Amino acid sequence: MLEIKSLGYWYQSPDESLFNDVNLKFEADQTYAIIGSSGAGKTTFLSLLAGLDQPKAGEILLDGQALTQIGLTAYRRHQVTTVFQSYNLLPYMSPINNLLTALAITESQHKGDVAYAKQQLQQLGLTDDQMTQNVQHLSGGQQQRVAIARSMCCDARLVVADEPTGNLDETNTEAIIALFQKIAHEQHKCVIIVTHEANVAAACDQTLKLSNGEFEWVTQPA
Amino acid sequence: MNFIHRAGLSLWAKKGRSLLLILLTAAIMLFILTGLLIHSAADTATTNARKSVGASLTLSANRQAAFKKMRQQSKPSSGSRPTLNMTPVKLSTVKKLTKLSQVTGYNATTQTSVNAKSFSAISTTSSMGASPMGGKMGSSSSQGDIQVNGVTATRLVDSFSTKSAKITKGRGITSADANTNHVVIESELAKQEKLAVGDTIKIKTTSTKKVYKLKIVGIYKAASTTSTQMGPNSTDASNQIYAATSLANTFKGSSYKNTADSVTLSISDPGQVSAAKTAAKKLINTSKYSISSDDSSYQQVKTSMKSITSISNKIIWLVTLAGIVILTLIVMLLIRERRHEIGILLALGEARWKIVAQFFTELVFTLIVGLVIASAGGQVVANKLGQQLTSQTQTTQAQTMSTQSGGQMGGGTPGQGTRPSGGMPGQGGQTQKAAQKTKLTTSIDLTTMVELGGLGLAIMFLATVLAAGGILRLQPKKVLID
Ligand SMILES: Nc1ncnc2c1ncn2[C@@H]1O[C@H](COP(=O)(O)OP(=O)(O)O)[C@@H](O)[C@H]1O
Ligand SMILES: [Mg+2]
Repeated sequence: MLEIKSLGYWYQSPDESLFNDVNLKFEADQTYAIIGSSGAGKTTFLSLLAGLDQPKAGEILLDGQALTQIGLTAYRRHQVTTVFQSYNLLPYMSPINNLLTALAITESQHKGDVAYAKQQLQQLGLTDDQMTQNVQHLSGGQQQRVAIARSMCCDARLVVADEPTGNLDETNTEAIIALFQKIAHEQHKCVIIVTHEANVAAACDQTLKLSNGEFEWVTQPA
Repeated sequence: MNFIHRAGLSLWAKKGRSLLLILLTAAIMLFILTGLLIHSAADTATTNARKSVGASLTLSANRQAAFKKMRQQSKPSSGSRPTLNMTPVKLSTVKKLTKLSQVTGYNATTQTSVNAKSFSAISTTSSMGASPMGGKMGSSSSQGDIQVNGVTATRLVDSFSTKSAKITKGRGITSADANTNHVVIESELAKQEKLAVGDTIKIKTTSTKKVYKLKIVGIYKAASTTSTQMGPNSTDASNQIYAATSLANTFKGSSYKNTADSVTLSISDPGQVSAAKTAAKKLINTSKYSISSDDSSYQQVKTSMKSITSISNKIIWLVTLAGIVILTLIVMLLIRERRHEIGILLALGEARWKIVAQFFTELVFTLIVGLVIASAGGQVVANKLGQQLTSQTQTTQAQTMSTQSGGQMGGGTPGQGTRPSGGMPGQGGQTQKAAQKTKLTTSIDLTTMVELGGLGLAIMFLATVLAAGGILRLQPKKVLID
């Protein structure tokens, strides 16, 4: 589904590239874990998959079509959804309205469906009370779950998540990984999760390790 | 959850910020509104001045033509002294002129002098003393001691309309006094001769030496400033009496029946003066009569109003410019503060123009509330402004008036058979009336609010567009991942 060709990225100069000539393939119905030490460039890599930035070298293709061709805005709106490490919820809204905003912007089939938004939040353990108050009044873990719900509720086939369980306890982490597995397998999505937690990586179908600018399959893809 | 809904949520969630922005907008709108109010007040004042100041056309004998004729006569005919033949204005001609649409009324005036018979005129001992070449000695036959001002109505005479002369007892001459022996005399003369309203006096005409009985219907007080005219042929101001034009004509002689020395035609709209003049010229014999126009007071008021209008225009531009700069800077500041939020929306795939539209919507809402506050404040400004402008107009008009009456002082020497054309009833009186009528109703009407709203919208739009550069260039990754 997603094909990465000769991908390269650097911040300051090409001599200090984070990774270079990366060639990878990600498929639907699969969950992927990307592991690697801090500062390896996982988040940077994910931002390229999420269409938040353009690669310095190479290209990313979705079903054979380059992202630049699709257009990054259109790609973000219809093809990919991102769970940020720092949640990035709209601060002046309730969880429900955050979900409704995402549904509206992405022109989801569930656009304007309050009951659907509620159900998505319930699935992640938020109470009715928490759903309607301002997101800034929620704890980090609760906000993280809202951010996950916002991504899962969208129709996008590609879900990328940066340390989505970083602020969650073990029970919640397990439940969320199970949910990621569920949407990948039942809704035929491709889920790519950056994590430093071994149990999360273990729960995913495939694991990819990034170190010294090299991607390496820990479990060989099928 | 479209961008309008988001705008509402954002405004509501950040009430404090919204309120500050509303107050700021209200302040800027109030400045602009003040400019607009000055502008519209100046416009109204100009229109009012145009309507109420009025202007006039003065019809009188064509002196130039008369002198020319006299010179022509003098050449061939040696021996006989040439005579200056001034044709008085025929009232039938005036009737024709009053049919012109621009003409709203007229004042026909005739001046002559008679000699007091049943009473004595007030004698003046000027510093020049009873000069040996005193007027009376040389021209006692043609110059009487009482000056008769024949008028259509005293209220049309500028000294009365400017209130420098006042009817103190009885009443003034009106058009109903035509063909009567009614007169209005001056209070000093009445005091000296112990005359009262209802009394009868006798005079003797200078030309025919006939004696006429006159009935006093009113007593007026002459302007205190009216200086007694010095020199030969001078008469004290108190020796001036007012009568109907017809009576003055009778004193001058039968050939003057249904005529006037000069006629002032009132023109309601000063803008129509030249049109009226052109039309009037077609109806009169220009070789005999000359017609002069006077709309100087209107021009003066217009000039002063023009300067107010141009100042108000500059104020509007300045304030609008300042408003744009201030609001743009603040909007840019607010948008910088909201970079994170913009990044989130961009990451979700929101179109950039919709993000710009959300901010614009928030500003428009702010503007609407700000306008309501500004209009309330503007009403206060409008009231103050109205008072200010009215007094300003009155000052201008008073100046106009004094300039004109000043200029008229020492104009024609009264008592001559024919007054020089031009300076008849000056505009002073009418200007004074105009000042009273020029009530400046500076209020905020719908048009002003629509204008203000339009300007506000333009400012908000410009501010958003200028600040939008940041939104359009923003890289979501920069604000979301760091
Ligand atoms: N905006 C940036 N400008 C310059 N360097 C950056 C920027 N963002 C990240 N880096 C650097 O790039 C490297 C990779 O960062 P990141 O992708 O966040 O790693 P990870 O998510 O694996 O911890 C780090 O050394 C970091 O300092
Ligand atoms: Mg990271």
